[in-house]
Amino acid sequence: MNLILEKQALQDLLQSWRQNYDVYLPQKLERFSHFMPLTETSVLVTDEPHNTRIPPKSLFLPMTEALVKFTRYGGYEDARHEIQPRIVFGIRPCDAQAVQLLDTSFIQDEYTDPLWLERREKTITIGLGCHEPCLNGFCTTVGYGPFNKADLDAILTDMGDVYLVETFSQAGDACFQGLPVAAEETYQEALAVQHSAHDQMPVAFETENLKEKLEQNFKNNYWDEVSQSCLGCGVCTFLCPTCFCFDIVDETQRRERVRNWDSCMFRTYSLEASGHNPRPSRVERTRQRISHKFVYWLDQVNQIGCTGCGRCVRYCPVGLDIRSMLRQAHSLPFEVSHAI
Amino acid sequence: MPDLNAIRTEAKRLLAEGVVDVVVAFKAGETPLHPQPAFFRSADEVDQLVYDGLCQNNLATFLTRVPKQSKVGMVVRGCENRSVNALVVEKQKNRADLFLIGVPCEGILDWQKIVGEVGETVKSVKENGQNLMIETKAGYQLLERHDFLHESCKRCIHPNPMSADILIGEALQEGDPNLARTAVETFEDQTIEDRYAWFQKEAERCIRCYACRQACPMCYCEECFVDHIEPRWSESGATPAGMQGWHIVRAFHQTGRCTSCGACERACPMDIKMTYLTEKLNHDMREKYNFEPGLDAQTQPPFAAVTLDDKNRFSV
Amino acid sequence: MQSNGRSLYTPIPMHVLRAYYESTDRSLKTLELSFDHAENSHAFFEAFNPGQFCLLSVAGKGESALGVASAAWEGDFVRFTAQNVGSVTSALHKLKAGDAIGMRGPMGNGFPLEDWKGKNLVIIGGGCAFSTLYALTKHVHHEDHRDDYGKLILVYGTRTSGLCMYKHDIAAWHENEDMEIHQAIDVPEENWQHHVGYVPDVVRQVAPSPDNAVAVVCGPPIMTKFTLPALDELGFAPEAIFTSLEKRMKCGVGKCGRCNLGPQYICKDGPVFSLAELNALPADL
Repeated sequence: MNLILEKQALQDLLQSWRQNYDVYLPQKLERFSHFMPLTETSVLVTDEPHNTRIPPKSLFLPMTEALVKFTRYGGYEDARHEIQPRIVFGIRPCDAQAVQLLDTSFIQDEYTDPLWLERREKTITIGLGCHEPCLNGFCTTVGYGPFNKADLDAILTDMGDVYLVETFSQAGDACFQGLPVAAEETYQEALAVQHSAHDQMPVAFETENLKEKLEQNFKNNYWDEVSQSCLGCGVCTFLCPTCFCFDIVDETQRRERVRNWDSCMFRTYSLEASGHNPRPSRVERTRQRISHKFVYWLDQVNQIGCTGCGRCVRYCPVGLDIRSMLRQAHSLPFEVSHAI
Repeated sequence: MPDLNAIRTEAKRLLAEGVVDVVVAFKAGETPLHPQPAFFRSADEVDQLVYDGLCQNNLATFLTRVPKQSKVGMVVRGCENRSVNALVVEKQKNRADLFLIGVPCEGILDWQKIVGEVGETVKSVKENGQNLMIETKAGYQLLERHDFLHESCKRCIHPNPMSADILIGEALQEGDPNLARTAVETFEDQTIEDRYAWFQKEAERCIRCYACRQACPMCYCEECFVDHIEPRWSESGATPAGMQGWHIVRAFHQTGRCTSCGACERACPMDIKMTYLTEKLNHDMREKYNFEPGLDAQTQPPFAAVTLDDKNRFSV
Repeated sequence: MQSNGRSLYTPIPMHVLRAYYESTDRSLKTLELSFDHAENSHAFFEAFNPGQFCLLSVAGKGESALGVASAAWEGDFVRFTAQNVGSVTSALHKLKAGDAIGMRGPMGNGFPLEDWKGKNLVIIGGGCAFSTLYALTKHVHHEDHRDDYGKLILVYGTRTSGLCMYKHDIAAWHENEDMEIHQAIDVPEENWQHHVGYVPDVVRQVAPSPDNAVAVVCGPPIMTKFTLPALDELGFAPEAIFTSLEKRMKCGVGKCGRCNLGPQYICKDGPVFSLAELNALPADL
């Protein structure tokens, strides 16, 4: 359904959802925006030309959460989490797409992560398309886009005084029940906004043959070159909407086994008890991070594992830019390398 | 701004004459706001070397990451020179294997402040004395340079490299030590509740990405205390205990070692203000021990030096 | 992988049935665990295949991935042998009979036993990585399964004779005419009656025929690395060579990310791979 939502009616609508849902939306925190629960006084931040700093993956995979409780006498039980029905409002298409990508890892028949699944089932996602695409983003390059609709119950298109609301599910319909239906003309205008946003995005790098180039240059000293100035921090991975690695650690004092976000850029990530580390330096770690997104995801689910949100570009403390790294990768020759 | 050509000429000479194996400096990034640390290994690469107020990293952090025996040239500002000195004191590098190209520093610009003022579409940034000329999609804008400095740079006491092998440009006036003192004392004047509330508010944003640690030249431990498994020194997750523990212990490990460069704060993706912790320690070092880390490459930090006439017995 | 309504990450309760040192230097300890609940036992043996591993859990220390060293026919228990290398394994070494312990598993693919039926098996092991091969040998050697396979050739090397695991069975196998066993130690010892030398050299010496045969290699990375070329020289095709990989693991179910080898997770898609499969994967071990 295509509906019209007056901008000035938005705040009331958001507040009305609070009766039945926890509502999360981007709000100002220090110098950036962050998904936080809606309160009576919350101010929606939609005019930020860029995205929330922490991607909304944190709403489905919290930075830290207990998995297991230790009971007395050496037993174990599932850690309990109260997960309320939620609406995530204002999620950008790149981040919604990322959540869909993460589903392919967390939801797999016999190996389904129960916490991820429950949060996903209880969450309605309402997207806000990017009518003024951000400068660091490159969503169209990786096959998605500023109005990508994957995994959204509804998406809003900013049209000045009003939003055009497109709903894609019953849950989405229910959220916007009672709003006037958009005239065909208005819908066409919205489509024009969407296409124009799409067309504004430049092609950041070539993706054709990129996977093969990366695969075949696994041992190229290209990796030494591009990782030279890397500090080895976790900014790119922690702020990445598709990075999902976690560590499992026992917190003795809390008598819990918890999972924490982890990063393949950390030394300890792959360090084995024997002292052997298959990825001993930033060279191998950088290669893993890039290859995971632009090679392995494609092997696994035939999708690029990067949605082009641009956070790693914007917040890398040393200005490393995945776009130029991949441009450089694309100019590499085809080579041949083998496992053992 | 020091003359870029003079920096390049010196860097080229060092590489061409084989004085050093590598020159660590900056090169242009993908956008004008993000120059990148760069490693120049031959004279003909040096034309890519840049230097401006947006070069936000402390290059001394790479000193412990290049092969130990290699001879390294480095473009250093006041803080970087102090970090290099402190690393030499800690025997992480021989001073004889270093050639420091010194540049007096007018303070590092905060790209987020610039973007906050003029928007995202920054095409170029020109620094001209006290002014910044920013070119955006909308046109040109003239800004007051000082307003866009990082806070740690506003308090800088020693903007000039003190032991560079060559100084490019004229030395600047030293900073006012009272600014650093006032910043600490103003914080100290708050009630304990307010200080704790501030600390909590800053620490709770931490995502434990360790960009602060990785950006810091003095954090060169092979294994950081947070990564240690037995015994475990700190709670692992993004919990209040974990986050506060990290920030406190990180700061304490810098006692008498932190050179107030502010690289930790500039690297933080969550805008956590953390130099107020190290600044307090630096303040105490100045007031109680008359010591500032990195002013020379010989003096041990007070907490690292043990002498027979120490007033207090060391209880280990 | 069993759930019983439990989360993927919650161990099932087990107790230590027997605990004993496996090597004379006490660096290897074997734990035999029994199930606290019969339904967990049923689910385990329904799913179990030699070559699989479990995550043993010590509350407060963490989990450690260990290959299963027992065959299903042995009884209602699961055997593991742990080398004392890290904080979890050192906690495992402190356990004694009657102690509670948690376990998740069985995990991973195990050996492709169905595909191997009718073939000669060349089983090559070194050090404590021999544990899953021990389970494999016990399985194949059992009277119910023995006829499914051709010749059974076992090569097992350890640094010293004291580090040889499962000595009782090994000794019995030497007497057995149904299988060929070649044991080796790295340096000569008094009264040692078998091979002296490294496993790759012993494999060359034994020279098993590649005809209608598969070779399974499990050992320290350096042994595996040099045994593969030896098998290649003998004419084993990459499709007929199998190995079990190890990497740091946490979740064991392909979620936490760290044990990937290219697009494959060693915990979920492995740990057993053929050399042909490995050749198609990046060298990231």
